[in-house]
Amino acid sequence: MEQFLQATINGLLQGGLYALVGVGFSLVWGVIHVVNIAHGAFVILGAYVAWKLDGAFGIDPLLGLVVAAVLLFVIGYAVQRGVINLVINAPIWMTLLLTFGLELLLVNGLILIFTGDYRSIATSYASGGLSFGDVRIPYGRLLAFGLAVLLTGLLAMFMSRSKTGQAINATGMDRVTARLMGINARHIYALTFAISAALAGAAGTMVGIVGTFNPVDAGVFTLRSFVIAVLGGLGNMWGALAGGIVLGLVEAWSGQYLSGTLIHAIGFGVLILVLIVRPTGLLGRPYSEARAET
Amino acid sequence: MTRRFVILVCCALLLAGACKGSEGEEAGAQGSTLQFGAALSLTGQLSREGILTKDGYEYCKQVVNEEGGVEVGDKTYDLDITYQDDKSTPDVAAQLVDQMNDDNVKFILGPYGSSSTEAASAVVERNGQLMISSAGADDTIYEKGYQNTFGVLSPASEYLATIVKAVSDIAQPKPKTVAILSADDGFSKTAAEGGAAQAEEEGMEVVATEFFAEGSTDVSAQLTKVKPLNPDLILGSVHLEEGVAIIKQSEELGINPAGGFGETVAPPTPDFIETLGPAAEYTLGSSQWTPETEGEDELFGTAEDYAEGFEAAFGDTPEYHNAEATAACLAMILAIEDAGSLEPEAVRESLANLDTESFFGPIKFDENGKNIYKPMQVIQIQDGKPVTVWPSAEGELKWPAPPFDER
Repeated sequence: MEQFLQATINGLLQGGLYALVGVGFSLVWGVIHVVNIAHGAFVILGAYVAWKLDGAFGIDPLLGLVVAAVLLFVIGYAVQRGVINLVINAPIWMTLLLTFGLELLLVNGLILIFTGDYRSIATSYASGGLSFGDVRIPYGRLLAFGLAVLLTGLLAMFMSRSKTGQAINATGMDRVTARLMGINARHIYALTFAISAALAGAAGTMVGIVGTFNPVDAGVFTLRSFVIAVLGGLGNMWGALAGGIVLGLVEAWSGQYLSGTLIHAIGFGVLILVLIVRPTGLLGRPYSEARAET
Repeated sequence: MTRRFVILVCCALLLAGACKGSEGEEAGAQGSTLQFGAALSLTGQLSREGILTKDGYEYCKQVVNEEGGVEVGDKTYDLDITYQDDKSTPDVAAQLVDQMNDDNVKFILGPYGSSSTEAASAVVERNGQLMISSAGADDTIYEKGYQNTFGVLSPASEYLATIVKAVSDIAQPKPKTVAILSADDGFSKTAAEGGAAQAEEEGMEVVATEFFAEGSTDVSAQLTKVKPLNPDLILGSVHLEEGVAIIKQSEELGINPAGGFGETVAPPTPDFIETLGPAAEYTLGSSQWTPETEGEDELFGTAEDYAEGFEAAFGDTPEYHNAEATAACLAMILAIEDAGSLEPEAVRESLANLDTESFFGPIKFDENGKNIYKPMQVIQIQDGKPVTVWPSAEGELKWPAPPFDER
């Protein structure tokens, strides 16, 4: 029983981290129809920013997280406004190619600057934890989980309550009509992409605190984000959280009761299963039907 | 139309024939230069290790040329090594080795890692080239019946077994139970099997062998399974990222084996200590080579001489990746000099019969081309540094390791 509880906690906390990684990816895919292959590279970039700030200036990674998020926000805005907006009307393959190229650039740039060595952001608190009998809850992972829930909540609120959030949703549903209503679509697209990149930066910092990273891991994070976004339902913030947690739990339980080498197979198996039973994802509504354009 | 096509093909074939090296020239030699080739991971995921390997080869070249070059019969050659970047991809390593054959480079120094070495070994065999692997440890590379690939390093099956031997030999109290956590790639699995077999031979009980996907940074499921079994020793058959995860998550989950932790490839690398900080302390690791390794040869002297010379040349203290690369180059040179010929077949014969001491330990190959005669070194992280504790001792083994929260 204790083992089951520990496995469940491990899965839940790991799932929170996954959700934090995937939520921005889901936002960009769901709202501005860009499958951002460079998302994992943004995550890694965020990890390096916090790692560098910690190593060079002794800045606590939790403060570094804010810096990483702000920096990634700026980079994200510039990338969308200056580069991706140029091909936003082209078929999805063009944006796919473009972000793929961006990923190659970022990953190899990071290897050039920081080498392919594994890094980790060392803190005095992340390895400690709460003990309940034999069951432990590590602080670092708890923090990542809490942050995931908090940011997802804030983002969901921003999207449904604020005027800008509604403008983002409106642009996602029908760009032409949104423009007729006086929404600056270019700015809205760039803003959405920037928010996504900022979330990736924050997620990267947490990845660095609880685990290890190197530039080549970018692909793994993009792939996970893909699973999480589709699992939860595209463009749905709470869906991404649910997708991340489901993936985390499935991996933890299958590692515990089946073989640890099967976790990827089982993770993708669950994705296929969900797509068969609920093609719109766990919490997805047939949102795409509301769009005039696809 | 068809005729024109046939003529075109004939021309292309003629051209290709003309491009091949002139038949009169000896294999691997251009004028007074002896040419070795190496496909290395200079970029990509394994670039760090690839560059360490390259530096090891370069140091060999430098010393050999300073000492007057390679004597083959009554001729003396300067040594030169061409490098190509395999981008950390095994297929590319194999292609590059094939291209080297087109350029008449018959003597190949191995790429970094078991996967690339395995891919290259098939090409080497087909082309009649000769390869000495410096970093391909997986036993399966040598069990395909290939004649032209030799490995200068101890095979994968020794990586974990060495730690078990050391613990059994010098740890007090001796651990009674051991749990093995392993990545699921070929190299790690072979090492895990070797470790389990050795533990049973030493009278320890293997209470669990758990596998996780290669490259995992989350091994909490496996640790949670192992925790209630209370093993005295937790052994990891891993690469760096998984090795770091085992220690980091054991600390998170409050797992403190009565004896301590031992891991294969991770602990001797500087990143392990840098990444884990104080949690890295007391971890045992196995290494192909340390400056305390016993043995000596004419070119490089003792292991300590090697370390000094290398540091003078490159400014860094050598890691085992450097040393194993230099040792592969050394073995090739000794075999060529013994053979007195640059014919790959003759050099292959003399490699098969090579039996020598070196700064890297004994170099001698069994019938499969594995150097099973060289012992590995066991290190322990002490005060932020890897210290050799077995078989020759630079420092005392600190045993048992205290729990994480008392460090």
